[in-house]
Amino acid sequence: MTDVASSEARLDSAARARGGRSASIFAARALFLAVILAIWQGAVALGLANAAFVSTPAAVAQSLWDLFKDGEILPDLGTTVLEIVIAFALSVVLGIGSAVVLDRNDWLNRIVSPFLTAFNSMPRIALGPLFILWFGIGIASKVVLAFSLGYFIMLLSTLGGLKNVDRDLLLMARLFGASELRLFRDVRFPWALPGIFAGLKLTLIYCSAGAVIGEMIAARRGLGVLLQSFSGRFDVAGVLALILIVALLVMALTSLMDLVERRLLDWSKGSTDVPG
Amino acid sequence: MARDGGAADGDRPVDIGVRGLAVTFGQPRSVLSGVDVTVRRGEFVALIGASGCGKTTLLNVIAGLVPAAAGTVTIAGTPPAAGRRDICYVLARDALLPWRTVMGNVEYGLELSGIGREERARRAASYVDRVGLAHARDLYPSRLSQGMRQRVSLARAFAVGRSLYLMDEPFSALDSQTKLVLHDQLLGLWESSRATVVFVTHDIGEAITLADRVLVMSRKGTGVVDEIRVDLARPRSAEALQADAHYHDLYRRTWTSLKASAQ
Repeated sequence: MTDVASSEARLDSAARARGGRSASIFAARALFLAVILAIWQGAVALGLANAAFVSTPAAVAQSLWDLFKDGEILPDLGTTVLEIVIAFALSVVLGIGSAVVLDRNDWLNRIVSPFLTAFNSMPRIALGPLFILWFGIGIASKVVLAFSLGYFIMLLSTLGGLKNVDRDLLLMARLFGASELRLFRDVRFPWALPGIFAGLKLTLIYCSAGAVIGEMIAARRGLGVLLQSFSGRFDVAGVLALILIVALLVMALTSLMDLVERRLLDWSKGSTDVPG
Repeated sequence: MARDGGAADGDRPVDIGVRGLAVTFGQPRSVLSGVDVTVRRGEFVALIGASGCGKTTLLNVIAGLVPAAAGTVTIAGTPPAAGRRDICYVLARDALLPWRTVMGNVEYGLELSGIGREERARRAASYVDRVGLAHARDLYPSRLSQGMRQRVSLARAFAVGRSLYLMDEPFSALDSQTKLVLHDQLLGLWESSRATVVFVTHDIGEAITLADRVLVMSRKGTGVVDEIRVDLARPRSAEALQADAHYHDLYRRTWTSLKASAQ
């Protein structure tokens, strides 16, 4: 009664404070970016850094413009995005699927877990040339490389969430008469969801790294191919512009996931700021 | 060793019959042996004893969670089984689903009992109201105090309307003030349900406040060594009992018995 009223009041004021803070945080971020760009541009202008090695913000912006103005980059960008999307989707579906199977089947889990650890410990990037040898120069080899990174992240983060499910919640649901299917739907899966979301974001980052690096090893098309040719020509601004594109792409997709996460996991927000 | 109730209670049918129960957990030394308990329909029985005396184990046998190594256990004439539709088990921890609101949690038990959506919402709202949480129905458990969470757990339990309630120290994590409030709410819910309750606790005051009979269990796991009939009038108020001389007599009597059982 009073305990709720007061905590609700506290939450309201906290939310208002957050709202007020977000505008100033946004301004501070813009300022931070401006300072970094100014130092970079200034260091080159004052002769403290060599533009041939570090380029300049203005040159990177120019390169970005050049890449997009006549649509020259689009086939490469499209190829890379396609590889990332396929590898990500496969990692998510198969990673979560395998985690569910391994969680429900302890016998199988005990047999395969050392092999999973061993495979996950391999530097998959170093397998890149082999993947190209096995799966060709097209997108398949990049999807495999990206998937080999993303699958394990998805598998392990989902399995971790499923394994540490609160036993009391399972017992409660079982005693009320829940079937195994309902235990999964009502308790195990929602319990694992925060871990799954953490895994999704990491998986996306690793899938995009895998795709681009795979293209850098050998490909017909893709941002990695452009990266190779720019660095071969010592076009530092071009390399930085391409890396910026990948970063912005991943950030955009990540914030999309954040949006979904906030809606699905709104029950867990602020769980620490109410005492008792 | 449990003595059955007096003449008035003797007319009521037996709801739980435990005869010569032994529990071993597969080990040579038994956790419980030679336990006899009779609980009549509609009775509120508290099991009290030193920690490690097997009171929760006895409750778990009745709930069908732990198998009996010897002896017989019957509930309403049939053997125990986990997930029976006439039993509700209230755990020591509230076991609320963190991703469901207060209403959603109270509805969950009804959902698993196969109650339709409208009836579910109606019943859940009424029980949330009865435990005084109408204003908090849309809050998630992370926003609730421990006492409020336990009230949601009680509402969820009584909303499904089972005939036997097994409770394993549901209030042990609460401060003594909050406990008194919860005792009154539990008594209110129970009195209108007329269900049978077996309530495990290590709190003497709680046992006397709530129960018709307090069964003191021996420390060695050899069953019930004493029985205190709590002849306090109902409906009871946990707070008013604090000033009741007879309550304190019963408290002393139980205390002495519990102390003797621990020797």
